[in-house]
Amino acid sequence: MPLDTSTYNLALLRVDGRRWNELRRINAQIRTQAAADGSSYLEMGHTKVMCVVTGPSEPGPRRGGVVGSAGGAGGGGGQSKDAEVVVNIVIAGFSSVDRKRRGRGDKRTLEMQSTVANALAASLHIHLFPHSQINVSLHVLSQDGSLLAALINAATLACVDAGIPMTDYVAACTAGSTSTYAANDESADPLLDMNHQEEQELPGLTVATMGDSDRVVALVCESRVQISRLEGMLVVGVDGCKQVREILDRVVREKGRRMIDEGTVEKGTGLNDMDVD
Amino acid sequence: MATANSRPTVLPGDEIDPSLIPQSKNKPLRLGPGLRHIPPNTILPTVAGQLITLPHKSSMWVEYNSNRYTPTASDLIIGTILRSGPDFYYVSLSPYTASATLPHLSFEGATKKTRPQLVPGSLVYARVTLANKHMDPELECASASTGKADGLGPLTGGMVFDVSLGFARRLLMGRSRQEGKVEVLELLGGDEGKLSFETAVGRNGKVWVGSENTKTVVIVGRALKETDEKGLGVEAQRKLVRRLVKETR
Amino acid sequence: MPREVEPSLNEKQFVLQALQENLRLDGREIDQYRPLELTFGDQYGVADVTLGKTRVLAKASAEVTVPYTDRPLDGIFTIATELSPMTSPAFELNRPTETEVLLSRLLEKTVRRSNALDTESLCLIAGQKCWSVRVDVHVLSHDGNLIDAACFAVVAALRHFRKPDTSMEGGVLTVYTPAEREPVPLSWLHSPFCITWSFFGDQGEIALLDATWVEEQIRVASCTISLNRHGEICQIAKLGGTPVDAVALLQCSGVALTKAKEFSTYLDGKLAEDTKKRNKGGLLAELSAENDR
Repeated sequence: MPLDTSTYNLALLRVDGRRWNELRRINAQIRTQAAADGSSYLEMGHTKVMCVVTGPSEPGPRRGGVVGSAGGAGGGGGQSKDAEVVVNIVIAGFSSVDRKRRGRGDKRTLEMQSTVANALAASLHIHLFPHSQINVSLHVLSQDGSLLAALINAATLACVDAGIPMTDYVAACTAGSTSTYAANDESADPLLDMNHQEEQELPGLTVATMGDSDRVVALVCESRVQISRLEGMLVVGVDGCKQVREILDRVVREKGRRMIDEGTVEKGTGLNDMDVD
Repeated sequence: MATANSRPTVLPGDEIDPSLIPQSKNKPLRLGPGLRHIPPNTILPTVAGQLITLPHKSSMWVEYNSNRYTPTASDLIIGTILRSGPDFYYVSLSPYTASATLPHLSFEGATKKTRPQLVPGSLVYARVTLANKHMDPELECASASTGKADGLGPLTGGMVFDVSLGFARRLLMGRSRQEGKVEVLELLGGDEGKLSFETAVGRNGKVWVGSENTKTVVIVGRALKETDEKGLGVEAQRKLVRRLVKETR
Repeated sequence: MPREVEPSLNEKQFVLQALQENLRLDGREIDQYRPLELTFGDQYGVADVTLGKTRVLAKASAEVTVPYTDRPLDGIFTIATELSPMTSPAFELNRPTETEVLLSRLLEKTVRRSNALDTESLCLIAGQKCWSVRVDVHVLSHDGNLIDAACFAVVAALRHFRKPDTSMEGGVLTVYTPAEREPVPLSWLHSPFCITWSFFGDQGEIALLDATWVEEQIRVASCTISLNRHGEICQIAKLGGTPVDAVALLQCSGVALTKAKEFSTYLDGKLAEDTKKRNKGGLLAELSAENDR
């Protein structure tokens, strides 16, 4: 068994040397593409995701009900009162261990598109841009577990870069448990930020929270787990999201400081005074 | 005045007993919905229902229940505003059908500057002015001749419930107790229920109920739905009202 | 393509206000399901579930086919969902709407990926022949809460289904027709049920079970929890929407367990009733070739 729980119990170290509550290395950059309204690149361990955001812009031909869009239905009757968040995810064939080309209508991808769109729509102030569309394009370059979490984090960063008003960062991460579903294991530890091996073997869930709060924007669990394990995993996940939010915030502020230093932007420019110390 | 056997149930294409057709010397025979005149002498029902005749008015029609509302002139309906055009509001009478038009100024005391601004999604109680199969139906919220609203206009607050068309017609009858065998609204407001609420019945199968008390509206809505779906008679309606009021008290 | 009708503003405001006063339009409790009715068809594997005015029909069928090359020891199990214009003119055939994609993904995760059906038992000859079990879910009427009704129908149909008996003799596979040998039930491991919570209010503070169509139109978030009566969660899906307090979600999952146990008892009862009905006159009567005319 790859995770080798026997050694876990000895030194309480996972396969990659992390303890149960340690996140993998998160490396993120924003404004990676100058031509786009907003762009970002995020790595969570070996999971690498790029994101480009365009908008708010003119809505395309009316395709109401397309999977992967959220908002756009607020208000009764004909006109939509909110901007529509349209998410498009492309998973590169070389991203996973076995080369696998995914078609356009792949339901798993459609479901992820819908989740990311609805998660963003919960935070973005879409009521400020009626009759318009915000396009979020995500490209997955490498997968090593926590895919949905990385997608949500990258999309959040790109929206921040695009300057779309939002309530707070939507931070996401995964949490798992060392017990298998059948065991009523009291000593099972919850694990933070699972990689591919751990995701395949152990139960886990992806949770996205609204910034620092305990409020869950999205929660996806696709494995069998005892209901008693759920609380532990959720708590660890929410805590991990808070850590992720700190990291995302640091990335944005760092970029801002660098832009001021390079003279690209003057301190005090823009709607909000960027408080860089 | 009409006994059971003079209200036969007819199916489309049935022959009508000639003795039922009102014969009058001065008044021409008027045919209502559900009947079709094939010259020179045949009258055929086109829908299934009860054949009703009124000899003193020399008219006959078929009473039937259907699910799709066909707009007919001078009907009172409840519509939902879809969007606003340059001179009209587009109003939806039933889902997935063509919308009806309601002129902006067709409200009581409305001028270009003081007309009511209706948002998409609001409800209006209106009368159908023009309805034929070639054109989209047209509505009005104030009588064209007198300029008075007579209770028509936008409906605020409250809740609208869907009922079948036949039930809506029975509710709208003048003597709903005897003719339509529907007394549920009177019972709710009267001794049994002692609830205070107002209603507006639309011939397109919608009943609007408004009240300050949310619970009242819920009770009235449930009473209407159950009477409609189960086809309750007057006694059963009384029991239903009693039960609902007791349950939620 | 005709657009989905939306409820009027009055309806939306009223339902929300009523919920804030703890009232639901049909007088139910916050965690009360509409009356659930399950009828089995004459054929094995047909389940008709009615949840209030929502009606879903599921039919299970099986045929012998070649297994996937990368899984020679497993049978094939697919669930197909059909949302046709019969439910509402807003649905079109072959044009998956978001509702349909999410419904089929949820059913897939709940029933297929949780191994409710043991696919290894569907294998006949490794690498050459296996059973391909297929469940077709038809939504006949949509008045909210398709997911719960559809999942219940799928589980009921699969547990009711009997596949033809087979035997292997020296490399030759014989499949018996129902007339020759009694069909056998599928190898069923556990019964998962979906419980969908809907959230209302600016902070998502009002939660209720089994939303009707009107309530679904005004909800701000929804969370579907699938679990079986032993308390094993098969999947949880809260796909975005207004953020909800984590503690509230945990409470919701607790209540979901109670509901799953109720569903399980109901389903067991109905299956037992059906078996008894088919067994009228004892098993021998069923195996006889005479028909009652």
